[in-house]
Amino acid sequence: MSKLEIAVLLAAAGLFVFVIEVVRRRRLSEGYAVLWLVVAVSGVLVGLARPLVDRVSTSVGIVYGTSLVFSVTILFLLAVSINLSMHVSKLEGQIEDLAQEVAFLRGPLPPPGDDAAAEPDTSDQTG
Amino acid sequence: MSDVLVIVPALNEAATVASVVTAIRQHLDAEVLVVDDGSSDATASVAASAGAIVLSHPFNLGVGAALRTGFRYAREAGFSVALQIDADGQHEPADAKGMIDLIVDGEADVVVGSRFSSGYEIGLLRRFSMRVLSRRVSRSLGTRITDTTSGFRAFGRPAIEYFAEWYPSAYLSDTVEALLLAGERGLRVVEVPVQMHQRQGGQASSGTVKSLYHLVRLGLVMVVFRLRRSERRSA
Repeated sequence: MSKLEIAVLLAAAGLFVFVIEVVRRRRLSEGYAVLWLVVAVSGVLVGLARPLVDRVSTSVGIVYGTSLVFSVTILFLLAVSINLSMHVSKLEGQIEDLAQEVAFLRGPLPPPGDDAAAEPDTSDQTG
Repeated sequence: MSDVLVIVPALNEAATVASVVTAIRQHLDAEVLVVDDGSSDATASVAASAGAIVLSHPFNLGVGAALRTGFRYAREAGFSVALQIDADGQHEPADAKGMIDLIVDGEADVVVGSRFSSGYEIGLLRRFSMRVLSRRVSRSLGTRITDTTSGFRAFGRPAIEYFAEWYPSAYLSDTVEALLLAGERGLRVVEVPVQMHQRQGGQASSGTVKSLYHLVRLGLVMVVFRLRRSERRSA
């Protein structure tokens, strides 16, 4: 086993352990954990299957197998990031809706001594 | 009962909000709603003591979201005119009479109080970008709007109902994009000159990099706006 393969294995194992640990602490949901565990396992496979990687890369016209791995990895991470940004955008919208709902559920803080203004639907009948 | 709701979006404006509420109540026959957008100071209680109705967001959402909360309140409570005014004392409530009249007389659905006619001083980058925005918005609306980012505006019932459903909450979108949406919705937008004071308190929200980011973002909003429109046309 080359030094490179050992390094890849260690990195993948580290990622694996880290993901499991943050799931255990409930700081990462299982759904996302599956994604990153798959990444860790693929890292191991790619690291150990250098000859295969090289064959695939030459067949698509890329001289260095590493370049192929890098390209695929970058595209994958890009896709994940964009997907997360979309998810965050949606959450932002939902949080805004919820917060406004909370403001209405709390109800208005009425002017002191003006009980009639306590409800939105009655305030327009006062005065 | 008054038919006019004055919406005052406020974030940490405890120093000025009371005098703003008092001034509004002095000059206008209107209910005052202060939307406390997650202030950490006494904005809410100070505003309530000054005689405003106060709705509080649990945390900061931005001016646009505060406005939508105000529009929703106006819609539920049946107000036919909503007036937006800043909590920092920049705007003169007395100027709002003319703006409200335009709505009541059916001359317009959205009235923008513009600060340019009264010699208000602004920086260079800001002046340039405002000119570009003005040209773009004016072309889209078919009427001249010089102060596209004005936070002093009046809205009629159709605008209230529309914006209660959806109002852009990001910075700059809450003013500029809202005008484009109003125009696309077929609402009549009119601009009137108003006086503008320097802020009585609080902080202006600007750094150069941040402003640039917001401008670029707004540029994207406008491009996408056009794309959506052509999509709707062909649909």
